[in-house]
Amino acid sequence: MAKLDILEFPDPRLRLNALPVEAFDAALKKLADDMLETMYAAPGIGLAATQVNAPKRLLVVDVSEAHDAPLVLVNPELLDSRGSEVCQEGCLSFPGVFADVQRKEWVRVKAQDVSGKLFELETDGLLAVCIQHEMDHLVGKVFVDYLSPLKRSLLLRKLEKQRRKAG
Amino acid sequence: MRGAEVQDTRALAAGALADVALKGASLRERLKSAQETLGDPRDRAFLTALCSEGARWWLRFDKAQEDLLQQPLRKREPALHALLVLGMVQLEILKLPPHAAVAATVDATRALGRGGFAKLVNAVLRRWLRERDARNRQLDARPETASAHPHWLIDALTRDWPEHDAAILAANNIVAPPMSRVNARRSARDDVIAELAEAGIAAQPHPWLRDAITLASHSDLARLPGFAQGNFSVQDGAAQCAADLLDLRDGLRVLDACAAPGGKTGHMLERADPDVLALERDHVRAASIDDNLHRLGLRCEVRTGDAGKPSTWWDGKPFGRILLDAPCSATGVIRRHPDIKLHRRASDIAPLVREQRRLLAALWPLLASGGRLVYATCSILREENEQVIAAFVSAHVDAETQAFELPAGHRAGAGWQILPGEGGLDGMYYAVLQKA
Repeated sequence: MAKLDILEFPDPRLRLNALPVEAFDAALKKLADDMLETMYAAPGIGLAATQVNAPKRLLVVDVSEAHDAPLVLVNPELLDSRGSEVCQEGCLSFPGVFADVQRKEWVRVKAQDVSGKLFELETDGLLAVCIQHEMDHLVGKVFVDYLSPLKRSLLLRKLEKQRRKAG
Repeated sequence: MRGAEVQDTRALAAGALADVALKGASLRERLKSAQETLGDPRDRAFLTALCSEGARWWLRFDKAQEDLLQQPLRKREPALHALLVLGMVQLEILKLPPHAAVAATVDATRALGRGGFAKLVNAVLRRWLRERDARNRQLDARPETASAHPHWLIDALTRDWPEHDAAILAANNIVAPPMSRVNARRSARDDVIAELAEAGIAAQPHPWLRDAITLASHSDLARLPGFAQGNFSVQDGAAQCAADLLDLRDGLRVLDACAAPGGKTGHMLERADPDVLALERDHVRAASIDDNLHRLGLRCEVRTGDAGKPSTWWDGKPFGRILLDAPCSATGVIRRHPDIKLHRRASDIAPLVREQRRLLAALWPLLASGGRLVYATCSILREENEQVIAAFVSAHVDAETQAFELPAGHRAGAGWQILPGEGGLDGMYYAVLQKA
């Protein structure tokens, strides 16, 4: 496995619409494994292929504390959702900044695994939030898009500051 | 996505408390790492209060969760479970204004990245507030939840101290005032007290321990003026009795057998100029002795070794004094280390007693004729104290016990037991053995 570079906002490649995965081959399996490694190392709880400059409809998540519940979703589609909740979110493409975002509380999604097998998943809580956050990346959307213009500009200024501090 | 950044003090405390209560982490260690993420000293003090009181009262409010929730979150969501315990601690122990405490605790669920549980946390705490009188009465009806002590320990205290068990349980549940030991080589006690007063910290001399002062405030002693300069150390007064009982003189060869972190070692060297060997089994902890002595401007030989295996470190020259501050259940210092309530098990005692006997038997031959061994533990269980000494003396014809009294505590077999809170001190046992 290898760690991949994560694109950081405002990289224009984060705005690309990802293409559906058609080939369920060894290269896809390797990409998913590398993404999980990259996500754990960050550390993060979710990562979309868009963020590692591979604009395919593929995302990985693991919200467990022990890093023992990885999920790979290929070609995910939202089937149903309910309720709403506010959760503090951060993003590996926005190092060091966090904001409250309103999401659906419960979701049902359809996706394929790395071998192409279809499955459905119903979930709520942090996993539901995380899947929604990553599915946004696949259509070129990022979490700051949900903020009011004022909050967004404050957050982006903070991001700039963090970046300068990091050198 | 990156999970929420935890800076919320309550959320931080919940994570730490879950590790302490459910995963066996040490309160002191876990607090230290959690403190590092907080810049404001007030936040750090609140974090300490939350985690310490959370551990101290865990057994009460953990049970309260079971009564309130059909499926407690303990296993599935340990941090949220701890957060609910902390919610009740804020209401019942820290006596924070209810609405603010509940609102801030609900906010903490979001900071933990568990915003989906905000409603549940809110509902549980509001229900507790509505039903608190009846529920508190229920919890008070059982000794285990009334005192938040484990069953085995309550039984042991009732067996060993039938007239004092209630007082011990109560003392363990009161936050102990910080105490320090003045470095007699660096500073007079009155000068240290005056310097602290200038910094706005009220401090009082202990009535009968000549180097001890009791502080009114709970501020972080290591940040007070004079600490870094080695004018004083943090040490409970009960531990300061050792230097008196050792009857030290210049040049006397002294072994401090289980020395880390070197508190009693430092005290000996502040009092006189004995030739001290500080022994510690764990090399990381041995390094802490060096650090502490260095701050105090003192030095002695520090060695890593098992006190029970003298052949691996002893040069064959007898000691005039030996201090055996033996590994023990620490049941006397629960007021300062409330996580002992959660971590100690009844089954720990027998192996500790075996270790205490092993160390005593191994060190005795190293004591010079006419020399003195001080046996100390911070346990209040008779098995670890007078019973160890009684068995030892009956098996060694050349061992004589030396009777003594302290202004607080109780005669216990051939030694002396201070129970927690007595004389304002931690629980501590001492026995003095003289070699014929």
